[in-house]
Amino acid sequence: MAFVVRSARVPPNSATFEEARQRTLEFFRKACRSIPTIMQIHNLEDVVTISQLRSTISSEIRKQAHITNPKVIDMLLFKGFEELNNILEQAKQRHHLIGQYVIGREGLVQDHRTKDQGISDFLKNFYSSNYF
Amino acid sequence: MTRCIQCTRCVRFASEVAGVQDLGMLGRGSGEEIGTYVEKLMTSELSGNVIDICPVGALTSKPFAFKARNWELKGTETIDVTDAVGSNIRIDSRGLEVMRIIPRLNEDINEEWISDKTRFCYDGLKRQRLNDPMIRGPDGRFKSVSWRDALAIVAEVALQVKPEEIVGVAGRLSDAESMIALKDFLNRMGSNNVWCEGNGVRPNADLRSGYLLNSSISGLEKADVFLLVGTQPRIEAPMVNARIHKTVRANHAEVGYIGPPTDFNYNCKNLGTGPQTLLEIAEGRHPFCSALLAAKNPAIIVGAGLFERKDKDSILSVVNSIAKLGNVVRPDWNGLNFLLLHAAQAASLDLGLVPESDNSIESAKFLYLMGADDVELDELPSDAFVVYQGHHGDRSVYRANVILPASAFSEKEGTYENTEGCSQQTLPAVPTVGDARDDWKIIRALSEVAGVCLPYDNLSGIRSRISVVAPNLLRVDEREPALIHTDLKPDCQQKLSTEPFSSAVDNFYMTDSITRASKIMAQCSASLLSKK
Ligand code: SF4
Repeated sequence: MAFVVRSARVPPNSATFEEARQRTLEFFRKACRSIPTIMQIHNLEDVVTISQLRSTISSEIRKQAHITNPKVIDMLLFKGFEELNNILEQAKQRHHLIGQYVIGREGLVQDHRTKDQGISDFLKNFYSSNYF
Repeated sequence: MTRCIQCTRCVRFASEVAGVQDLGMLGRGSGEEIGTYVEKLMTSELSGNVIDICPVGALTSKPFAFKARNWELKGTETIDVTDAVGSNIRIDSRGLEVMRIIPRLNEDINEEWISDKTRFCYDGLKRQRLNDPMIRGPDGRFKSVSWRDALAIVAEVALQVKPEEIVGVAGRLSDAESMIALKDFLNRMGSNNVWCEGNGVRPNADLRSGYLLNSSISGLEKADVFLLVGTQPRIEAPMVNARIHKTVRANHAEVGYIGPPTDFNYNCKNLGTGPQTLLEIAEGRHPFCSALLAAKNPAIIVGAGLFERKDKDSILSVVNSIAKLGNVVRPDWNGLNFLLLHAAQAASLDLGLVPESDNSIESAKFLYLMGADDVELDELPSDAFVVYQGHHGDRSVYRANVILPASAFSEKEGTYENTEGCSQQTLPAVPTVGDARDDWKIIRALSEVAGVCLPYDNLSGIRSRISVVAPNLLRVDEREPALIHTDLKPDCQQKLSTEPFSSAVDNFYMTDSITRASKIMAQCSASLLSKK
């Protein structure tokens, strides 16, 4: 199977932090270039735009901005490529993408704990379901 | 192949109970067949009952036949809300779906029959349902939002307008619990403009005898003369009509009718069309008076359609004088009856849902419609904020700014009082649709968001509140007769208009949001009403 072979290829370790940084940028470019294909094969036009996906990718990368160890960066990049491959090969499907990258980490169920302070149990139950 | 064994139960039902001569035996001997004559339809509002009556299942319910097996169904004994009779029904459901509705025996109300509207309206419960709270955006389109946001917006607007500009209308399918919650909520907001559809302006809510079927549905069997004033029981309350039909068959009771031309399935004298005839009877000038005077137990049935008329008070006082003339109200017999149209009406009047001012809609800035689809919204100011709480996307949704989805009668526990004053409870048969909530819960939640929290958190709490206002609503399955009779009312000087009575229900099959959403009811009205 094609994607097994491609994703199994492990590049040599980055020698320096600079090299790892370069590779990260490459990964970002590659990911950005695949967005139109992803949108097309997963039929995402009506739920998300290209720029939204792009910023999701960059924010996923930025989440790891504090890491300086090139080995760790390499490992994360490997996982990134793997994920990208999975998406392009449609090993991940539309709902995975929507769940992970469109709706995002906070999910559909939002955390209202701070807002809910001072309201009665009745109202808390009311917001969650009709049956209580 | 047919399973029919020619027992002719269906034929006897059609001619003896439904009062139509449509079914019969064709052919004789081995060629015998049951059928309607020459491709006629069985045009009775009780036709569905032949399904229950047929011992072998030769007659089947078209929407239900072969859709489910009996043992897959869960039966829930509940109450019908499509008219004011409150027929006892069993809702058979499979999973989330109502599969059929069949009657339950209650000798005092519906005997063992139900009307076709009750039986076949259930497909309306699956169509046009509202399942998410929605807010109308600036572009005029609805957007789903969370309950939190919807309630926050409604509460914000409600707090901005003046208390007397807040108006609430309960729909014809509302249960007593939600109506008392609505009234309490509006009162706490400082407004008392709350009423129930169909009761007209300034309804008489003080004397229960002024809006109930005082001789009770089964009591109608004792009557020997009927005077129907502006009511067409056949389409307004088929089960009451079946009672009258039974009485007419049993003791040849005489029936006089005042109102627009309509169909009866028993012998009936059409005395006239308007208040003029009523006046003639009251003054003893009409030939029908002799029948009325000779009767042992005369019954007058006044239709609730008259409550909407401007000269309602004077009509009622004329009716009162007829009652006095015919000695209709006696200690042992109360024959002055009012036949209500909607399931919510009796309970709403018991709970005192009476508007403070006559034309509150015209000055409303915040209108809360609790399932009310038949209110005239033409007069409503265009900047008014309309909240529609209900289960179907029906008429009022077009004008609504916020939609709060509620549960239908098949999905909630609620108390209804029928036209004879018997309170009964519905039980949930299926779960609610989508993100809908029970009516009273929505109002309770809204009251908290608006900062005027209602003091009840559960059904027993709200029922103990009802017990303060109308304890009779809690005596379930018991008829609470009205104690004081209408004689106490002052005579009214209002002028009687000559305008003839109009019919209160123009399409028997489509009277509320559920039946209007039903495809079967639409087909019934298309094929049955056009024939007339
Ligand atoms: S009730 Fe059923 S079995 Fe009896 S005559 Fe009618 S169709 Fe035939």
